[in-house]
Amino acid sequence: MPSAQPPDPMPPKPSALTFNLLARCSTTKARASLLTLPHGEVKLPIFMPVATQASLKGLTPKQLEDTGCGLCLNNTYHLGLKPGQKVLDAVGGAHKLQGWKGNILTDSGGFQMVSLLHLATVTEAGVEFLSPHDKSPMLLTPEHSISLQNSIGSDIIMQLDDVIATTSPDNARIKEATDRSVRWLDRCIAAHKNPESQNLFCIIQGGLDLDLRRQCCIEMVARDTPGIAIGGLSGGEAKDAYCKVVSTCTDMLPAGKPRYVMGVGYPEDLVVSVALGADMFDCVWPTRTARFGNAVTDFGVLNLRHASYAEDFRPVEEGCGCKICLPKDKGGLGVTRAFVYHTAAKETVGAHLLSMHNVFYQLGLMGRIRQAILEDRYPEFLKAYFQKLYAGEKSKYPDWAIGALKEVGVDLLQG
Amino acid sequence: MATPSDGKATDDDMFKIIKTSTNALGPRRARLALPGRRAIETPHYLGLTSRGIIPHVSQDNFESLMDVSGVYIALEDFIERAPQKVPAILKFARQRPVDPLRRFVALPDETLLVVGARRTPPLAAPAANSNTNTSVAISTAIGFKTLKAEDYAEDVELLKPDVVIGLGDIPYERALSSKRIEKAVDRQIQWLKDHVTSRQQVEAEDGTSCKLFAALLPVSCANQQYYIECLTGEARDDIHGLAVYDLETLSDLPESLSDLPRMGFNDSKTPHDILRNVALGIDVHAVPILTIASEAGIALDFDLSRQDRSSGILPLGIDMWLTGHATDLGPLAKGCTCYACTDHHRAYLQHLLNAKEMLAWVLLQVHNHAVMDRFFAAIRQSIDRGTFDADAEVFARAYEPQLPAQTGSGPRLRGYQYRSDHAGETKKNPKAYDAFTKLDTPDTVGTPDEAEVAALTGSIRPAEVK
Repeated sequence: MPSAQPPDPMPPKPSALTFNLLARCSTTKARASLLTLPHGEVKLPIFMPVATQASLKGLTPKQLEDTGCGLCLNNTYHLGLKPGQKVLDAVGGAHKLQGWKGNILTDSGGFQMVSLLHLATVTEAGVEFLSPHDKSPMLLTPEHSISLQNSIGSDIIMQLDDVIATTSPDNARIKEATDRSVRWLDRCIAAHKNPESQNLFCIIQGGLDLDLRRQCCIEMVARDTPGIAIGGLSGGEAKDAYCKVVSTCTDMLPAGKPRYVMGVGYPEDLVVSVALGADMFDCVWPTRTARFGNAVTDFGVLNLRHASYAEDFRPVEEGCGCKICLPKDKGGLGVTRAFVYHTAAKETVGAHLLSMHNVFYQLGLMGRIRQAILEDRYPEFLKAYFQKLYAGEKSKYPDWAIGALKEVGVDLLQG
Repeated sequence: MATPSDGKATDDDMFKIIKTSTNALGPRRARLALPGRRAIETPHYLGLTSRGIIPHVSQDNFESLMDVSGVYIALEDFIERAPQKVPAILKFARQRPVDPLRRFVALPDETLLVVGARRTPPLAAPAANSNTNTSVAISTAIGFKTLKAEDYAEDVELLKPDVVIGLGDIPYERALSSKRIEKAVDRQIQWLKDHVTSRQQVEAEDGTSCKLFAALLPVSCANQQYYIECLTGEARDDIHGLAVYDLETLSDLPESLSDLPRMGFNDSKTPHDILRNVALGIDVHAVPILTIASEAGIALDFDLSRQDRSSGILPLGIDMWLTGHATDLGPLAKGCTCYACTDHHRAYLQHLLNAKEMLAWVLLQVHNHAVMDRFFAAIRQSIDRGTFDADAEVFARAYEPQLPAQTGSGPRLRGYQYRSDHAGETKKNPKAYDAFTKLDTPDTVGTPDEAEVAALTGSIRPAEVK
């Protein structure tokens, strides 16, 4: 395990958040809570849309706010390149840059190790990668990641972690990455200049090795960061393996801190992960898939570029309360599937409309989840959700979801 | 508005001239009011749509961030597979006959909807695909097609916009020979008469119909004399306005047509062109420069009533791509009160353009339309004051003749923006992604080097070459 041991006993660490656990599901591990951050309260469980380059794919901050969003992501790696740290310092951070009054969470740039793997090499010093501008070799260190995130001024900042694909067969490399992530957390904590205004979250690594994950949890929890992330997932691993990792970690984590599973956003993954005790999620999928003409609904994903929607004059999702779907007489736009078909992939507005719907859907789903937990009827919610999604065909329910939920006391096939 | 006597709005109600100049050709003030819509003080402009929406402006932003009174919609954007396949919008109109076009494109009730056959500016059809006695060439999402005059008349009446522009035999980008003019005149007369007949049937069935604006050929009235005679004569009561495609047509417009509203579809590329149009009596202007400037990354910045003339000749807009804006927290244009200028700043615009984020074009559209709103408001005040000619002259001297040149890249080109002329043309849009190349350094994964770690406190810096 890491050579650097945290001092013992630990002095209380400064934090810029308060976390109030409001309710726990009496069956599953689901929790409902209130997280107060420097730019306002957010209700957990939460889905956080990803405004990678300080813009949520064509939507104004006002439109994002209108979907009910109070916490979105920016990407440190991208903002470090454009507009760059000098500009961020001169402008006064990412909130000012994008005119966003809500909270911002920034990732550290570590995920780019997986997503742009053949561009990057990891050393103990940091991540070496080729500049996308001139292909010159660059180095991202934990210190610089934190320095950048200090300049960005995000409400939640993430440690730089050594991310490798969970599907990697190299166990020694996974172990090394896990240990290194702990060492890098210590470097991040030491480098963090604004612990009173920015919350540094650690990231649990350990691949799909549950023992390694447990050890990592112990090390990370000991460092007493204001919040805790479970990282390295959502990289193509089997879903049941994913669920085991999440569940193993949440068992090890203190109840009084928010738990963030990084890179998760499919509705089924969200409802199951909440049952496994996770509180926060982010994913580019809802907005990316919107640009491909896909609408996320309770009945599954509709590809509105398909010719079958050309003459479908129903709203994108019947009964949805978003500005796009709401009929005109209820204050909405009353946009039809046919109009989305008419503009999808031809005008940027087609993407904007579906991005608004999809983000609203994701946030609305989390709101419904939260309400169910507060009223202690989450198991019923889960059953109803899958029932609707698969039009009552239980034979189509995914095995991983059935298995994972059985572990926390919900039998999807019953009742 | 409807009068009790006949239940029909009269032309006098629809278009009221408030102030006209002493000579026949000159700037004028009027009010265009259609039932149920916001009354439009003229001179004013129309927002130009693509596939039913102003490019980059979703309908909620149109409603909450902009103040556009009316838009122009092209039928060719909706009918790619007609007549083999009935277009979705026509099926929609049959199922939901109340205000179908507005419901389909989801624009607000108060917005004036004007429909014509071709986009503005249109993509000129290839020579082989020209207009005929019974049809015009149109550009659709799946290539050039023909639109029959009779289908056009039927379709637009079904869609029930507020104003429909009669089908015009306009030879975009090509000059009209005298022989061709003769042919065009014959076609215009025939198409107009047929359209009027078709409208009478619609009106008999459901009691309402939209206002018909007659398209004038882009030549002087003398050169289209028989058509003008038809308009001043038998068709006079059936038309409610004129669509002008060339200012030459206004030079000898007969007095008996002067009380009709004039929509200008000549290609005005600068505010100077707009002032020229106003000076010759165009009431409602189609101005393509708004979207063109936005997509070029240019924030328009001109004002007819600007008093400060001290700083030499002023640019008509600001190129937001320039790196000089990178840390500028000021508004796009000084004194502008639009959403982009009050809630955002130049630094964000510069970043968005540089990062190829779609929001850049959204914010520029919001700003540029606000600039145009103010420009036309100032034009109206200037006419009211009786100082228009002098103001326009000062403006012409104060501002550069052209918009700043585009320096950055815009959105992906779309099919309606260019025409393929031959096989094997290169792609218009560069590839967005290239294959990444692997960093060519040895694998350096290993135990920490204390000295190395200690040295790393600075910024992203060039890695040492190993």
